[in-house]
Amino acid sequence: MSAANANYGLAPAGLEPVVSRYFNLPDAWKIETVLKLGAYETAKKALAGKPEDVLKVVMDSGLRGCGGAGFPTGKKWSFLPKDTKKPIYLVINADEGEPGTCKDRYILERDPHSLIEGIIMSCYAIKSHKCYIYIRGEYVLPAARTQAAVDEAYAKGFLGDNVFGSGYRVDITVHRGAGAYICGEETALLNSLEGKRGLPRLKPPFPAVVGLFGCPTIINNVETIASVMHIGRMGAENFVKWGGGAIGPHLYSVSGHVAKPGVYELPMGITLRDIIYTHAGGVRGGKKIKAVIPGGMSAKILRADEIDVKMDFDSLKAAGTMLGSSGVMVMDEDVCMVKALLYACRFFAHESCGQCSPCREGTGWALKIIERIYRGEGRLEDLDTLLSVAGGMEGRTICVFAEAAAWPIQSYIAKFRSEFEDYIKSGKSAGRDMAAAHAH
Amino acid sequence: MARQLSDLDTQAQAILAKYDQKGAATLTLLHLAQDHLGHITPEVEQWVSKWTEVPPVHVREVVTFYSMYHRKPVGRNHVLFCTSMSCMLNGGDKLLCHLEKKLGIKRGETTKDGRVSIEEAQCLCNCEGAPMMSVAGEYHTDLSEKKIDQIMDGLK
Repeated sequence: MSAANANYGLAPAGLEPVVSRYFNLPDAWKIETVLKLGAYETAKKALAGKPEDVLKVVMDSGLRGCGGAGFPTGKKWSFLPKDTKKPIYLVINADEGEPGTCKDRYILERDPHSLIEGIIMSCYAIKSHKCYIYIRGEYVLPAARTQAAVDEAYAKGFLGDNVFGSGYRVDITVHRGAGAYICGEETALLNSLEGKRGLPRLKPPFPAVVGLFGCPTIINNVETIASVMHIGRMGAENFVKWGGGAIGPHLYSVSGHVAKPGVYELPMGITLRDIIYTHAGGVRGGKKIKAVIPGGMSAKILRADEIDVKMDFDSLKAAGTMLGSSGVMVMDEDVCMVKALLYACRFFAHESCGQCSPCREGTGWALKIIERIYRGEGRLEDLDTLLSVAGGMEGRTICVFAEAAAWPIQSYIAKFRSEFEDYIKSGKSAGRDMAAAHAH
Repeated sequence: MARQLSDLDTQAQAILAKYDQKGAATLTLLHLAQDHLGHITPEVEQWVSKWTEVPPVHVREVVTFYSMYHRKPVGRNHVLFCTSMSCMLNGGDKLLCHLEKKLGIKRGETTKDGRVSIEEAQCLCNCEGAPMMSVAGEYHTDLSEKKIDQIMDGLK
């Protein structure tokens, strides 16, 4: 675990941290530590009231999904059929895998009880009695901590047949994935949870109608459901007002060439420049920024002159990219964009599930072409071929993975075309670092 | 005594009780068996099939789809070395070459004594501690050549 890194959960001066409030508290993953601080009180209160009250407060907060798509949480919940005889499932998407993103790990590892409390409240709101937490397989410690927290909550009577003595039943099963980025896509996650290959499903039907085991299912991100508890605790109005009123606190993972990489809890809508220079210590070694990926590998890249954009779903969309999972990756002036694109393409070629031909073939060909360019054997027309491969994937597949694979290709070439051209023209120039060109 | 699948039968039963359908326990049972035996053999697939009532061919599909299941033995300490964007930006690619040189093996290989194996991994989501690697499930961050040497020298 990254205890050596102290730059997490730093809310701006004068603001009480919300979702990150226990990230720096030793042993906050143990129930005895947080019970003294009022853990589970919010859920207890919620279960003494009506489910509709929880739903209303989430609706009022305007909370949007923190996993990548930014879909309004209350609205998603409202898609559940009203009169179903089938069980309703809540599934927590803890398959954090978007490169540049590391926020959910902190909640699972350091503050799992806030997540569990949010699960109890959310289950109550959507009339579900069973929740699965799907944690990526490589997260061994976060899964162990979450499982231990679930066991503690059962022992206290906060989970099980009679939660807080209310008569309401909530069961949680902690489930581990086994190494597949695609399982972060919610319908692939459902297939994986059912014990199958993680192949995304055709939609409609949407999971709210036909989800896990064919039953109505709501899939929400870890931070989203932890936020449900905090919204209940603070009240929707205070949550929204936090840090200036652009819809409350939000976790940003900041990595790459910043002086202080970390997970920062900042107001939604803060500018990218502020995140980098005010909070993450600016660029290491006093260097200049060349480019920034604002929302995980799938998000289109921004140039240094574009970082005054506000970091919220709508502003980034208007800027032609996306907030995604809020994984900010900063590249300094020395970064070779050909190499950066090579690494993006390797990721998507490796992680394509192979179900749809445009994606399976497209990601493979894109990788072959960028590898050839990287080796110094590229031709100028390769750039247009790459763009054509990217265009051939986009919008032609079951899930949005193909779009995510196309966007880096399109945006890196569009914004740094002259660098790509110069690289190709110079051929195999001496001194170029070829470590990455190893077989893989 | 040699480890056997039957050692796990009690745990398998407890795992099945946590799922609403038997098939859903497939990934968890595969993890359990691999943690116990080191890798997934055809016998493991049969064993999982027996508990989950999922046909063996579908268990095989699952084993081959997910990167964490090994169909051949790996080292006692399996290294997942992150080669994604943030780690690359922080020199992870060069450190992976250093690790290969130190151990005298390439990615995808295991040392002759069976102590360590290396696998190139996609983002392990510890980007704030890049460059990083996972060794036998434990994350190590802020790597340098020296730190890698120390970690490797400390492995049994």
